[in-house]
Amino acid sequence: MDDLVYTIAFYILAAITIASAIGVVTKHNLVHSALLMALCFIGISGLYVLLQADFLAAVQILVYSGAVAILIVLGIMLTQRRSMENTNPNSGWPRGAAVVCALLFVVILIVIAATPWHYSSSMAAQDTPSVLARLLFTDYMVAFEAAAVLLLAAMMGAIVLAKGGEEK
Amino acid sequence: MLHDYANIGMLLVIALLFPFLALGASYIIQPRRPGVEKSMPYECGVDTVGTTWVQFRISYFLYALIFVVFDVETIFLYLWAIKFQQLGLAAFIEMFVFMMVLVIGLGYAWNKGGLEWK
Amino acid sequence: MNITLLTSEIAIICLSLLIIILDLLLPRFETRRSLGYLAAAGVAGVFAYTCTQYGVSATVYQGLFTLDSFALFFKQIFLLAILLTLLFSFDYVEGLAKYQGEFYALLLLAVAGMMIMASANDLLTVFIGTELMTVTFYILVGYQFNSSKSSEAGMKYMILGSVSSAVLLYGVSWVYGCTGSIVFEQIAKHANTSLGMLFGFGLIVAGLFFKMALIPFHMWAPEIYEGAPTPITAMLSMGSKVAGLAVLLRMVFIAFVPMQAYWGGIVSIIAAITMIGGTVIAMWQTNIKRMMAYSSITQAGYMIVGLLSADASGIKSVLFYAMLYMFANVGVFATIIAVKKHHGSNEIKDFSGLAQQSPLLAVVMTVSLLSMAGIPPMAGFAGKLYVFSTVIEKGYLWLGLLGFVMSMISVYYYLNVTKVIYMNEPCVQKEFIVSQPLRIAALISLLATLWIGIYPGPLAELANTAARSLSIL
Repeated sequence: MDDLVYTIAFYILAAITIASAIGVVTKHNLVHSALLMALCFIGISGLYVLLQADFLAAVQILVYSGAVAILIVLGIMLTQRRSMENTNPNSGWPRGAAVVCALLFVVILIVIAATPWHYSSSMAAQDTPSVLARLLFTDYMVAFEAAAVLLLAAMMGAIVLAKGGEEK
Repeated sequence: MLHDYANIGMLLVIALLFPFLALGASYIIQPRRPGVEKSMPYECGVDTVGTTWVQFRISYFLYALIFVVFDVETIFLYLWAIKFQQLGLAAFIEMFVFMMVLVIGLGYAWNKGGLEWK
Repeated sequence: MNITLLTSEIAIICLSLLIIILDLLLPRFETRRSLGYLAAAGVAGVFAYTCTQYGVSATVYQGLFTLDSFALFFKQIFLLAILLTLLFSFDYVEGLAKYQGEFYALLLLAVAGMMIMASANDLLTVFIGTELMTVTFYILVGYQFNSSKSSEAGMKYMILGSVSSAVLLYGVSWVYGCTGSIVFEQIAKHANTSLGMLFGFGLIVAGLFFKMALIPFHMWAPEIYEGAPTPITAMLSMGSKVAGLAVLLRMVFIAFVPMQAYWGGIVSIIAAITMIGGTVIAMWQTNIKRMMAYSSITQAGYMIVGLLSADASGIKSVLFYAMLYMFANVGVFATIIAVKKHHGSNEIKDFSGLAQQSPLLAVVMTVSLLSMAGIPPMAGFAGKLYVFSTVIEKGYLWLGLLGFVMSMISVYYYLNVTKVIYMNEPCVQKEFIVSQPLRIAALISLLATLWIGIYPGPLAELANTAARSLSIL
């Protein structure tokens, strides 16, 4: 019973994710693309839940669907135009792009099929935030502090570029 | 695991059904008498002026950006807070350094007028 | 846990934070030259400190961050590169309309990212270090707010760079899926040659090749080198490239040892295409920064040739080459900045009569270019000799010959610039100003290039120590 529910949930979430991802690329209105991207992020967070990475799922919703999607919509609002029709035009070679994507897809499928996967027999961690916290503050301390510096650099850079370009 | 999420699933289903029910009901039972006034976009009783897509100020964007930075910080802070007692002094110092770096960033943003609304 | 291993990174980051704070405290219209001096002095101090760290081989926290002579060698390259870049860019930064303090602070943060990359011993730290470096560069490339070329370059670099980071990250996820770990030693323990592992490895390498601008991952380089502020072009071509090389070396020789059978063929082909393509296209350039972009592509091709021999002598030759490449670049870009200040543009014809206007810079430019071309007695000759002799010993005779032929062809376009410098008359008659710090940087580059070329022994010895400290070898 449980397995069936998991399988159904997986296919529903995967369908949502893929359909919205295709929509992001093909929609001609940039705002629609941005909103579909938020939906895509939500679908991915559902997949995280199925993988029993519940903290990651929450982060995905909080940061990606919440903050990043808003950021992109605001970015669109910075541009001035009469209407949002045709703001996300396709590239000149949709066929070429489709062929490349299809090739990449086939390659990945072949690789997945040909790789002997090892299935972990250990139970998934029950309390994922605690495990993450321990790893983050001990083993990955350098990466953690570097992330702070990275955030600082990004914030400074955004202010410098925004203000620098603004007052000419 | 599954049963924990069943509640969330139920909530999701109800939350999705509710607007559809409400809108559907109004669609079925509403009287249809459209008029010029009724079809106009409504803005506080005043007719809209100009186009709806106008250029927004960069300060909106800077706000959102600073928000993202501190949003990410909150996540790290949460992880640290739930295991604060087991992690001990080393983690406290690490978190302090992390906060200080971002506080400098906030001070920078403030000083450079990134938080100003003018 | 031994926090002292992180001293040099912490010092650089603290220096950067200090500059940010001081920049906020200084009056708004005050020049930020003092901050530049502070940055240069701090970097010089950190460089002196790193000299005392040789011989250390230790890790912080379960081996995720390692400090050995190999990492130190690369860190010293980065520190020297940033120190000399700071010296020759004081005037340039003073010419910026605003945000001069942030320029120094962001440059230092980029260097911190490179230093983390050199020491990173797991894929997550590699990724964070890489992002710290590239995100900072996205900002710095677009730093000339009044130039649409610079903004365009920044935009392009951000989009293409994000794609390459995504490719790298996707590769990491494959490797993690196949081995269950992201720590280099653990990957080596569980590595197999399944298709999935190869796919992940290929994606990671593609991401790094992008950072190093090897053909066919080079498309971004010419436009971005041209549009970026010149000190940033210098740091891109010295720092970004060499940092990618540092990660690549450590990864290939510690984590992906079983992959080496597959690796040789592809790398030799990419190296060959890069050497040929970079040289041929460079000949047609009229803009000096574009020419240097293609030249740096070619140089990266020479550097990865050394990887093919897959032993300590091969790595030694790469390290040696990276160091002398850095010195030659400093000389060239210092001259470019001085000429740009004089003429206001970066065309090769602007170098006309440089020999009469500034004999010192003319000599520096000539020596640096000839070093890149590999003419004795410049350092480049010794470097190319090491790289190609080790690879010929391993049976890649054709690659060695190709490298030799391409070096000879590249002499053509390097000498072309020299010809303009010495043969043509100056087109603008006004005083040519060379500031004192720029003169010092150019002199250091000149002396180092000549000294390494004539006595390659000490640097070769140092590079050898560094190469042997990669534990697997």
